[in-house]
Amino acid sequence: MKLTRRNFLAWAGIAATGAIACDLFDDELRVQSPAAIPEDLVNGRDNWYATYDAAEPGGQGLLVRVMEGRAKKVRGNPRFPTNQGKQSPAADAILQSLYHPDRIAGPMLRTGPRGAGSFRPIGWDEALNRFNAALNERGEGMLLITEPRNAGYARIADAFADAFGGRRLAFAAVDDAAYRSAVSDILGGSRLPYYDIANADTLISFGSDFLSTWGSPVAFEVGYGKFRSGDNTGHRGSHYHFDARYSLTAANADKWLPIAPGAEGYAALALAWSMLQAGSAGGDIGGMTNGQGAAALNDFRPDAVAGALRIPDAALGGKTLAEFFEEMAKKLGRNSLALGGGDAAGAYSNGKFNAAAVLALNFVMDSVGRTGGLLPNPDDNPSGLSADAAPATLNDWRRAVADINSGATRLVIAHNADPVYGLPAGVGMGDALRNENTTVISASSFIDETSVMADLIIPDRAALEEWGDHIPEPGPGYAVYAIQQPVVNPLSDLDPRSFADIMIAAANDLGRSDAMPSASYQELIQNSVESLGADFTDTLKNGGWWDESGPAYMPAPAGLLNDVAAMAAMPNAVGAGEFQLLPYQHHTILDGRHAHLPWAQSAPDPLTTVTWQTWVDINEQQGQAMGLREGDVVNISTDAGSISALVYLNPGTPPGIASVPMGGGRRAGSEYATGREARESGNVLSILAVAEVDGVGGLAWGGNRCSITPAGSSMAVSKLEGDYANREIGEHSVEQVFKTAGGGH
Amino acid sequence: MPPLPPPRQLIPLALAGLVATAIVAFIVVVLFISWFSNPPFGWGNAPDQPIPFPHTVHAGPVEEGGHAIQCEFCHRNVTTGAAATVPPVEVCVICHSQVNGGNVAEAADIDTDALVNIQRVLDKHADGRPIDWERVHRMPDHVRFVHEAHLRFLTQGDPRTVTLPVGHQEPMNLPVPVGEACSVCHGDVASMTEVQPQDGQSLKMGTCLDCHKQNDVSTDCTVCHK
Repeated sequence: MKLTRRNFLAWAGIAATGAIACDLFDDELRVQSPAAIPEDLVNGRDNWYATYDAAEPGGQGLLVRVMEGRAKKVRGNPRFPTNQGKQSPAADAILQSLYHPDRIAGPMLRTGPRGAGSFRPIGWDEALNRFNAALNERGEGMLLITEPRNAGYARIADAFADAFGGRRLAFAAVDDAAYRSAVSDILGGSRLPYYDIANADTLISFGSDFLSTWGSPVAFEVGYGKFRSGDNTGHRGSHYHFDARYSLTAANADKWLPIAPGAEGYAALALAWSMLQAGSAGGDIGGMTNGQGAAALNDFRPDAVAGALRIPDAALGGKTLAEFFEEMAKKLGRNSLALGGGDAAGAYSNGKFNAAAVLALNFVMDSVGRTGGLLPNPDDNPSGLSADAAPATLNDWRRAVADINSGATRLVIAHNADPVYGLPAGVGMGDALRNENTTVISASSFIDETSVMADLIIPDRAALEEWGDHIPEPGPGYAVYAIQQPVVNPLSDLDPRSFADIMIAAANDLGRSDAMPSASYQELIQNSVESLGADFTDTLKNGGWWDESGPAYMPAPAGLLNDVAAMAAMPNAVGAGEFQLLPYQHHTILDGRHAHLPWAQSAPDPLTTVTWQTWVDINEQQGQAMGLREGDVVNISTDAGSISALVYLNPGTPPGIASVPMGGGRRAGSEYATGREARESGNVLSILAVAEVDGVGGLAWGGNRCSITPAGSSMAVSKLEGDYANREIGEHSVEQVFKTAGGGH
Repeated sequence: MPPLPPPRQLIPLALAGLVATAIVAFIVVVLFISWFSNPPFGWGNAPDQPIPFPHTVHAGPVEEGGHAIQCEFCHRNVTTGAAATVPPVEVCVICHSQVNGGNVAEAADIDTDALVNIQRVLDKHADGRPIDWERVHRMPDHVRFVHEAHLRFLTQGDPRTVTLPVGHQEPMNLPVPVGEACSVCHGDVASMTEVQPQDGQSLKMGTCLDCHKQNDVSTDCTVCHK
């Protein structure tokens, strides 16, 4: 029909009449009461609460936005002295641990074979009766496994374990035992030092991915931003990084110097020698070298260690190693900073030497205790609580497994720790816990490889629902007492309870109340705050208490360089194979502790943009020479076992290096952690040899050799970026080096 | 009288006339609704509600047999947002899980009809079904009315006496409690068995403008109009 003015008016009239006739306005006159109270119906007001997230490396102060009783958003606490208003990418996922569909709702009792994951819900009365009965009957020699914690929680947990004749071990897959030992020997005390990156002119880092997961990465990133923009110094700082792996830190450095795995100590002492030789060294040179000066480090002359470092010539810009180091040494001085020595650098048999050499280099720079240098943290916290959060070492775990197997330990309680997943399979923790003669109790909020072994699960509250106190490790160079306060109540269908309070209640019920430091965890925290002379409410608002009195200048210990030089050793390779296996903590999943959180899984790796899967990062040319293409499934085999992963060819990765992120291959618990095929998700920790760092007892997780063989299948790599070839700009010298270099380390 | 056109021309003309009449009628109805928009079809009477809700029992004074529940207990967004919001059925059940036929049937002063109606509310909640109330006060869609701002004016600030051009237009000493503030526009709802618009209260644009002018509030179009 032709649309004329008359037709238009006619249809408009019909439509309007029809609308009225059909009760168009009825709905307008109706207002509906929904059946249930919808949380978001009301435009309520938000509240921001300060609290603390201890699950991230170094910890971080957070502000949590709470509306209608529900946490909606987190951001860094701008007042908190370490992260200063910033937060790690995984911090947002703390909300998912709160509302996770796989969270354990209430106490559960095992009903099937151990490890099969068959449980039935029980009430808290029955659960606590069983908990107390287990303590009463099997408490002597028990093993309490917790996450690395200090302050009030550690005091309660240690007192609880002692009260029943047991002991506590803190679990972390990356124990940094060598670094801690070197810090203790050289700086004294148990506290890890802080690095004042923001005020440094030049930064030399060694084998530690401090811009991703090592130390206190958010605090370091904040400082690095100021260092690079020259906020404090007035000029852009220079950054050199020595590392065998192409890490996020390596990618950010002005100059990444790819060295042989485990040679960081040699590089640090070669640089120290060069500084002594160039006259740029500071402090009491005579004292720290027993009067020998540069001669104390003659074995570490750049030309003498070039064979150990194996830095490709092209990475040196046409200079010899001696020339390159001499040029670096002239730039260094009091406002320079040597960072690292932990993480991968401390994870070889010679890890303690590497860590000690890096610490010693700071004394050569005369930067210890100075602005822009290495800042020792005070050992004593004014709260009177211990700051020691050192994880147990490999040796500790081997003894613990032996005790379980011998029957000396008949009760194992695990709280937010997953040693079955995180320890090398060769340690035998999983097999030990399968022993039906041992009672296993888990206080975790989620099923994982350890809690699935439990006879009884008594779920703890999530971090945002629970009190907590923490002394950040490393601190910012002064005393900090961080408070974690509950910002929300658990959802109505969840019934978790504070494990710290359960420990206190059990001790009280079983006649050991005298051993416990307080009647509740909250009371202990409040008393600790008030012992500082601080108002409790104000402290909660700030997220903690701190005293910004910085550390004093620290002179070098006498004979330091002689002592460190005497420790020198090259790392022992464990096993055989054409690749050095370099595991590293995933940027967001970390050592696997966040594998159940989908936001952490789906956050792209900063270098490869891979999500959800486990990949092995190998040199592009070497991989192509082996006939490998991106997405090929390969078996990574060490002497201790084999896992599968997807190939990721990277022109930046040095030949002979196989980098594999931790955190994959979970086989128990949430589907978000376990829902990948075995060929695309492997637990690299499980295939590490049970090898120690010499003189320390920590796990030498960096020293494994491995072979890589195609498994015969291929699948798409879940990543966001295009091929490297599409992005190449051809000006990156390191990239050119490894596109053309042959051979391997 | 001019001759009529032939029949085949007459039919379209008749149709056009009908259409024009319909359009004019529609426009008249719309204007009528707009003018008497409070309420449009109730002509000032209380509309029938799906379940009788006596505000006298809930919000009325205790001495008169009510329970003196504050307005904002049920209309919980009224002091914080634009809409006062009607309460979800679950809010009714907060009390009526206890105040129901099973618990108070023996009490002599309980109206049997009331117990039946309470049970209907409980059934709605148990079945997860909403209650579709008939709206009593309604603003046109092109108007933005924020309860929070108006309550803030009436319940906060320095002591002052005003005579507002709404309701009974008697001098008021501000600030007043929330309940009294609500009754400025809505009348004494606590005394109403069935809620209906306040006598003589149209809540039309003129009322809004009068009040805004009197109290030095902006009369810019965009303050109220979307």
